[in-house]
Amino acid sequence: MELKDLIQIEIPRLALFVPELVVLITGFVLFSLDLIYKRLSHSLAISVSVIGYTLALLYLVFNFDLRGETFYGLYVRDSFSSLLQIFMILLTIILLAFTLQYQRFKKSLYGEFYYLLSFSLLGGMVLASSYNLLLIYIALEAVSVSFYILTALQRRDFTSKEGAFKYLILGGLAIALASYGAVFLYIYAGSFDLRQVLHFNAPDKSFLILGLVFFLFGLAIKIGVVPFHFWLPDAYQGAPTPITAYMSSVGKVAFFAPVLRVMPLVQEGFHNTWVLVVGTLAVITFLYGNFVALVQKDVKRMLAYSSIAHSGYILVGVSVASAIGLKAVIYFLLAYSIMGMLGFLVLAVLERSGNWENKLEDFDGLKHSQNFMAWVFAIALLSLLGIPPTVGFLAKALIFMSLAYGKLWWVGILMIVGVGVSTGYYLRLVVLMFMKEGERRAITNPTGFEKASMVLMAVSLLILGILPMLLWNYISPTSEMLFRR
Amino acid sequence: MELVPAVFPFIPLSIVLPLLGIVLIVLLEEKFAKWIALVFSGAVFVISLVSLLYFDFSQAQKVQFYQSITLIEELRLNLSFGADGLSYLMYILTTLVSFVAICWSIRDHQINHRLKEYYAWFLLSESALVGVFTSWDMLVFYVFYELTLVPMFFVIGIWGYKLRLYSAYKFFVYIFVSSLFFLLGIVSIAVEHYRQFGKFSFSYFDLLQNQYSLAFGLFLFLLFFIAFAVKTPIVPFHTWLPDAHGEAPTAGSVVLAAILLKMSTYALLRFNIGLFPEVAVFLMPVLVLWGIATIIFASWFTISQSNVKRFVAYSSVSHMGFVVAGMFLLNKEGLRASIMEMFAHGLTSASLFMMAGFIYNRLHSFNMQALRGSIRFMPVFAVLTAITGFSSMGLPGGSSFWGKFLTIMGAREYTLQLALLVLAGAFFSVLYVLYLLKTLYLDVKEEGRLVHFTDVRGFKLVAFLLVVVPMLLVGLLPFLFFAFFDAHIDLLLKMVLKSLGGGLWN
Repeated sequence: MELKDLIQIEIPRLALFVPELVVLITGFVLFSLDLIYKRLSHSLAISVSVIGYTLALLYLVFNFDLRGETFYGLYVRDSFSSLLQIFMILLTIILLAFTLQYQRFKKSLYGEFYYLLSFSLLGGMVLASSYNLLLIYIALEAVSVSFYILTALQRRDFTSKEGAFKYLILGGLAIALASYGAVFLYIYAGSFDLRQVLHFNAPDKSFLILGLVFFLFGLAIKIGVVPFHFWLPDAYQGAPTPITAYMSSVGKVAFFAPVLRVMPLVQEGFHNTWVLVVGTLAVITFLYGNFVALVQKDVKRMLAYSSIAHSGYILVGVSVASAIGLKAVIYFLLAYSIMGMLGFLVLAVLERSGNWENKLEDFDGLKHSQNFMAWVFAIALLSLLGIPPTVGFLAKALIFMSLAYGKLWWVGILMIVGVGVSTGYYLRLVVLMFMKEGERRAITNPTGFEKASMVLMAVSLLILGILPMLLWNYISPTSEMLFRR
Repeated sequence: MELVPAVFPFIPLSIVLPLLGIVLIVLLEEKFAKWIALVFSGAVFVISLVSLLYFDFSQAQKVQFYQSITLIEELRLNLSFGADGLSYLMYILTTLVSFVAICWSIRDHQINHRLKEYYAWFLLSESALVGVFTSWDMLVFYVFYELTLVPMFFVIGIWGYKLRLYSAYKFFVYIFVSSLFFLLGIVSIAVEHYRQFGKFSFSYFDLLQNQYSLAFGLFLFLLFFIAFAVKTPIVPFHTWLPDAHGEAPTAGSVVLAAILLKMSTYALLRFNIGLFPEVAVFLMPVLVLWGIATIIFASWFTISQSNVKRFVAYSSVSHMGFVVAGMFLLNKEGLRASIMEMFAHGLTSASLFMMAGFIYNRLHSFNMQALRGSIRFMPVFAVLTAITGFSSMGLPGGSSFWGKFLTIMGAREYTLQLALLVLAGAFFSVLYVLYLLKTLYLDVKEEGRLVHFTDVRGFKLVAFLLVVVPMLLVGLLPFLFFAFFDAHIDLLLKMVLKSLGGGLWN
């Protein structure tokens, strides 16, 4: 046998990788701009980012059917990765509409903001498109490190530092756990490729279980699953609000992507263990998130806990390792990424008004001072609560459906309790905004871009709820495809 | 069930028109809001009456005006609308009462701020309610069922009386949480359809084919029942109702009592009996007795109220007891009684709440004692109240007579004791109405204060007449209404009998 038979040189199919490349290049351009200009102008940075991301987005949209693997199977492009990447890029572009005014308001001059955003986006995109544990590990780091810095960006703000510090320590632990997990899985199957690992049939499965547990617990810390959530409320509260919005939407999609890739590969052998472990975690997560959110006085922190609760709902769907569960989960994840982001973005705009502290009292009679924001926030909250005809309702209904499919009645009943508790805090805000007569106060008007983005998001919450097939027709074949692997 | 396609989209039009009205209200100035609402809800009412000409009464068991659009093919989630006789009756009740509520609001002193929102919420609730009674896809039904919560939540919370925030919360939380059980039930039967036929489906017609073991059927029945027991309400679950109805503005109470409560009894009839006939038969004794207990307890609660609105609210609970008891008798008289009572109570409760609101506008009090003899200087109002009161009491010729009389007849088919129990309930419900009428008519006090009252007139008179005239119609010509739903009852009883594999009755 000759050497050239042993080593097969693969020419990378860069066509599959173009969106990531574009985002990477955008990041580097922003980086160099930041080096060149002593004070990088925000509008320049934003326009460069928007152009870059839009190019990547257009490429993805027009080549949605692009399929294939490259870099020796490290990188996989399928409809799952394209779908998630489209959402991530779209949400990042929307986010950029809100950064300019916020940065000006905070008198923040950091150019890092923009290229870190690019790198975290790049990490997220790679996370959505790999089965390889090593690549997942690297991408996880790329996202996390960017998030640590972004959280700490307002270094004079105590909460920002505190949040970032907690995030850093627990994030480090998560990475350590995930890498241990990866090693154990390698010992088990001799491969870093999750498909091979999970289809490998050894008589002794202890290393598989151990590896999966470590790996998933690492991801669970990143996602903020109770009891690994302690960093999340602090980091979400301390981070600049647009960044919170970004972490709760793009971050969540990115961190859930590998979990969703693992889920269809769960074998018959440990299916029951999976249901029990993930189901229990899910129940603890949404119950804890909802109960603690109920007593929060700070709205930003409350939304952070609601974000934990929503991770719980998503995990409920994950625990039912079936095609219908996966469909429900993807639908829910994408729906949450819009509504969670909208909630935080409304806060980002409101924060610019004088004397605004995100306290519950600040929302008294908001409708009279700022009609538009009150309505947008109400739509986001009702969607988070799951009132039809918003997308949040259909997403919850699909999760319930997957529960009925898995016959997990106990989880179903507990989820009703969780959603019932969440009524308290979402509704309280609606009551404060619309039914209390607060004093009229000067609230900042959103700029045109901000207004347009918020209208777009609010309308899409309604549209996707009324015409679910717009999203479903992409999600359904995607999850079928993942299950055929 | 057979479907008859629509000749003209009456039902989608009645759902979309109010939404168009909302758009206009939002765009135009505040002073036009009430007139836009009046025109649009009036138009929907006219549409529902015109469609009466196209409704084929000889085939009232078939779903007519049927139209369907596919939303998700894979889950067979369709936006399908249509009406059989039962739905159709409820549809007309909805358009009628919504129009009445808006007519009333135009001259209601209570409604003096945020008019745009107020009328927009009422139009939204009308649209959603029409959707509830005419959709044949379970998930879409649920969407409309939940959507009706939002307008009422805002109406109670913004334009209500003193305890409005508390009541709005309580109303929303009770109904929302209980109906989540219903949601779990819906998706469970959709998944069960997949297990039995290899395909998910939310279509009511598909789901009728499912078969359940008794234990699983019981579980599903209870999931559905929890939601409807809270919403109907049946006695231990009724505590949200007096608060919500008592604190809502008049028009809000009218819609709440007249239509929102009917949603759940309609759903009990359609889903709990239609989808799980075996379980309904199995639980029949419990549910009938529960219904009778509701009648008796709620009547006692009613008599002890000093607030006239809460008085009317509790009387609603006792009427709903008749609806539930009659329904689960599962014979022709019982079901007829139940549906007649649903329609009749829609009219009488609307009228009673308007009465309470009218007196509040004059006296600024809901206290029963303050109402003494208040009727003497308002002859038109006195006549309207008398008709409503006697109808609600169940005097022969009054609208509720048929509900009560037929329930007693239905109960008599089983045992005499049961019939006597229902009779006792009917007795108490007579008692509280008589007490109310006595306070209004016969007690005299402080005449000087009452002389200057103006009588009912204008829009309020129209609103009153729109419910009082049909009340007389129901009382005097009940067979007109039997024509709507007799065929459906026969179909239902056939299903119940089939599920028993024959016998039991014959």
